[in-house]
Amino acid sequence: MRRAARDLLIGALFSALSGLALRALAGAKNALPASTAASRITSQAPFPALSAAADSVASYDIDAKLDTNTHRITAHETIHFVNRSAAPLNELWFHLYLNAFKNDKTLFLRSPFGAGRSGDKAHAYGYVDVKKLSVLGDGAADGRDLWPDRDRHSPNDPDDETDLRLPLPNPLAPGATLSIDLTFEDQLPEIVERTGYSGSFHFLGQWFPKLARLEPDGKFAHFSFHALSEFYADFGDYDVSLDVPEAFRVGATGSLSHESHAAGRKQLRFLAENVHDFAWTAWDRFETRSERIAGVNVSVLFPPHQERNAQAELDSVRFALPHFNALYGTYPYPTLTLVHPPDGADNAGGMEYPTLITTGGPWYATFGGGHFIDIVTIHELGHQWFYGLVASNEHVAPFLDEGLNSYAEAEAMEARYGAGAVFDGFGLSVTSTALNRALSAARGADEPVGQSAADFASFRSLGALVYSRTAIVMATIGRVYGEDRLAHAVGMYTRRFRFRHPSPDDFLGVMQEELGAEAATALSAALFARGTVDYLVREISNAPEPSAAGIFDGPSGRQQKKPDPPHAPGQYAGRVVVYRHGTLELPVDIELIFEDGSRERRHWDGHGFTHNVDYAGPSQIVAVNVDPEHRILLDDDFTNNWHSTTSSPAPRVFERGLYAAQVLLGEVGP
Amino acid sequence: MTERALPSSLTRLTTSAAAGILLWVSRTLLGSLVAYPLLTVVDATGIAGGPDHDAVLFRPGSLLLLELLRVGLPWLGAVCKITLVLGALSALFELLPLACALQLLHDPDRTLGERAARALACFPRFFGLGAVTWAAQAALLLAASLLATALKSALQHGDERTLTLAPFALFGLALLGCLWLGGVLDLARAAVVRHDSGAREALRSALTALRDQPLDVLSGAYVSALGGLLAYLVAAWLMTRIDLSGPMPARLAFVFAVHQFAIVFGLAWRVRWLRRALELSARSD
Repeated sequence: MRRAARDLLIGALFSALSGLALRALAGAKNALPASTAASRITSQAPFPALSAAADSVASYDIDAKLDTNTHRITAHETIHFVNRSAAPLNELWFHLYLNAFKNDKTLFLRSPFGAGRSGDKAHAYGYVDVKKLSVLGDGAADGRDLWPDRDRHSPNDPDDETDLRLPLPNPLAPGATLSIDLTFEDQLPEIVERTGYSGSFHFLGQWFPKLARLEPDGKFAHFSFHALSEFYADFGDYDVSLDVPEAFRVGATGSLSHESHAAGRKQLRFLAENVHDFAWTAWDRFETRSERIAGVNVSVLFPPHQERNAQAELDSVRFALPHFNALYGTYPYPTLTLVHPPDGADNAGGMEYPTLITTGGPWYATFGGGHFIDIVTIHELGHQWFYGLVASNEHVAPFLDEGLNSYAEAEAMEARYGAGAVFDGFGLSVTSTALNRALSAARGADEPVGQSAADFASFRSLGALVYSRTAIVMATIGRVYGEDRLAHAVGMYTRRFRFRHPSPDDFLGVMQEELGAEAATALSAALFARGTVDYLVREISNAPEPSAAGIFDGPSGRQQKKPDPPHAPGQYAGRVVVYRHGTLELPVDIELIFEDGSRERRHWDGHGFTHNVDYAGPSQIVAVNVDPEHRILLDDDFTNNWHSTTSSPAPRVFERGLYAAQVLLGEVGP
Repeated sequence: MTERALPSSLTRLTTSAAAGILLWVSRTLLGSLVAYPLLTVVDATGIAGGPDHDAVLFRPGSLLLLELLRVGLPWLGAVCKITLVLGALSALFELLPLACALQLLHDPDRTLGERAARALACFPRFFGLGAVTWAAQAALLLAASLLATALKSALQHGDERTLTLAPFALFGLALLGCLWLGGVLDLARAAVVRHDSGAREALRSALTALRDQPLDVLSGAYVSALGGLLAYLVAAWLMTRIDLSGPMPARLAFVFAVHQFAIVFGLAWRVRWLRRALELSARSD
């Protein structure tokens, strides 16, 4: 540590220089060419016309008043419900997800997973109390309070109150409507799992009593608030009036239609059509920036001194919104709100709601070559399609939203930044694909990717498989069967199921239609059957092949051929044996490298367990490289993809290692 | 005053060069030893076994660099420990060429054998002085760490940027202090070489030199550090602009040359400071 000071100075100067360089490059970033996504997919079969609206099942009118000192909300809610199923309904299922933070025995807080995605337990408890519930319309009960008739706890879980059944006094026939009138009070927890307060900052997600999604067969897709799960709900229209102190800035799902001020408070009315959730935030220290991008009014709410992050977030939206519009269908809403939570409220960050997303990161997140801000912004923006518009069941099939969205995020980040999508600095670039592969490789046999969120062994497993491995599965399919074809297939899926609730079978159906049975089979095996693959080569054999000697009778008469003299330039016969481990059969290229420096490509369709590559020619095979472009990112182990008859020096590694050791010896020696 | 007549400019130049070369050779050999375990990991994983060898690790996007980390993870922990042990032993061993270099700068007329013998004799005192300096530097950093924690609590409700940067500023100051302690250590080593004195006496002599010529000591130590830093920064900047992912031996040779030039440049500043330390020590006699 003799002159350890120098180490830090080096680091500080590096940071400063990189900051300056990044600032200089900022203009270049903004000047990046627009997304080329449109040209990639318009050359293929046309897409169907986009649905203009969802079939509304559950629409909500809410009047809510926030007390920012006690962190309580008092509210009145009316749900306009239509039974669009084929069966009469005898009950309703309500999700009261704020009760997940009520006490340490709830399903969420007793979870062994470190309290879910935010990785933090509640520091102050929160809950929702329904004061009264009555129904009007078909199946009505004359305004009587029905809430006492509800089940007291979630099914088979006496300690949890997040998933409650309410019997209806009369069956609700298919097509019939019902108005459900509630009054309720929220006590917000300190920020946990993307909801609650931190100081005067408030973020409200899953804050109101909400109906579970009604499936076409008349059953409700209801589930308790689980640490590994996200959400699922019906489309509808939201009309939400919020009453907050006048000094507070508010961001919310939908568009602000009216604002009035009285007695030191303000009332804001937000309208959102064709959405399936409503979230909002209020803070007295928010700063804002707005910009119209691709016909959408984009606003960023951010803490003081985070202009740099806000700018980076706007830059990301400026690139990704048109990019996603071209790939997955035009974003149909007039507004998009980005919320960057303040320091200390990080658990509110990195989440998606219809027309509102939360980002996150410290004030210095854009320094030093990392693209964290861009990644989180583009990921959450992607959810406007994979969750928002294509509203699959996040509880039952999380790969359909988080997985496909991770693929979309990686694709967009690489379209924007190329090889430096995740990190680009100090001579090192890391791409999203490389990171996703590193996180998910060799985990394919652990658990099925396509299972329910609650069935995963841990959040680490869910993260590796649902997020990273799905992205790698998709990237592999793209690299093997055509990236443009895959982009078109995913675009077809998002357009066909816009404002709908597709299942995994719907997704696979589109993939089969667009990419063919072989690709769909591989996709299905990789997602649902723990499909894995590992191509490897163990041996290369070479042998001189002398020309045949002896007496030969031919059309020109009898000829005698003598044996080749010693050391004559001759022919070689060679064989390379390539193996395929695992269950996925994916076509692969094999590259042979010869002694004279030439290279030759062979192709294997991936069927069978071994493949012999035979060769005869004037030069010996000295090396073989299976899948030289690494198209098969699902390959469990890249290090056995090649084999060489020569030694394997690592001069570059030695050079870097030597230099690092020399510098360290000089700086920290006694 | 010095006991001997002042050496000529040519002698100064040649002895400085010889000292620099001695330090570079020893550091290169020891550096190779420290870097070797890393090579064994690369070899064990087979990542460099393909036709393009380790060039694949330097390709844009780092697909195979991350694969190396993933596949090599079981070995990396053990290798890091071995590297640390080798690094520590090498750092200790480097005290010998350092002592030789100081002897050479102080008394260029001695034979190689005499210098080696004296360097061996100096080793325990160099080690003792180094250990004391390390302890002092650790105490300084610990104090900065405690202060930073207190400062963080005090600034809890302040600006997020201040909250982040204040501890860094504190550590920056502490590291400047560590650098200064390093300068004092070199003065003490110079005293050991000049008078063959004990560690305590050498430390006292260094502190006297510091008291008598504080600006000379500070400027000498800091300028030496800045010289090395500049070389490392330029080399690092240059390296970020050279693509090593192709099969191009010329580029690799160039990178090696640039890195070694940076090391040699840094050592040149170090030798310059060591000579200065000998002079400052002599002035305070």
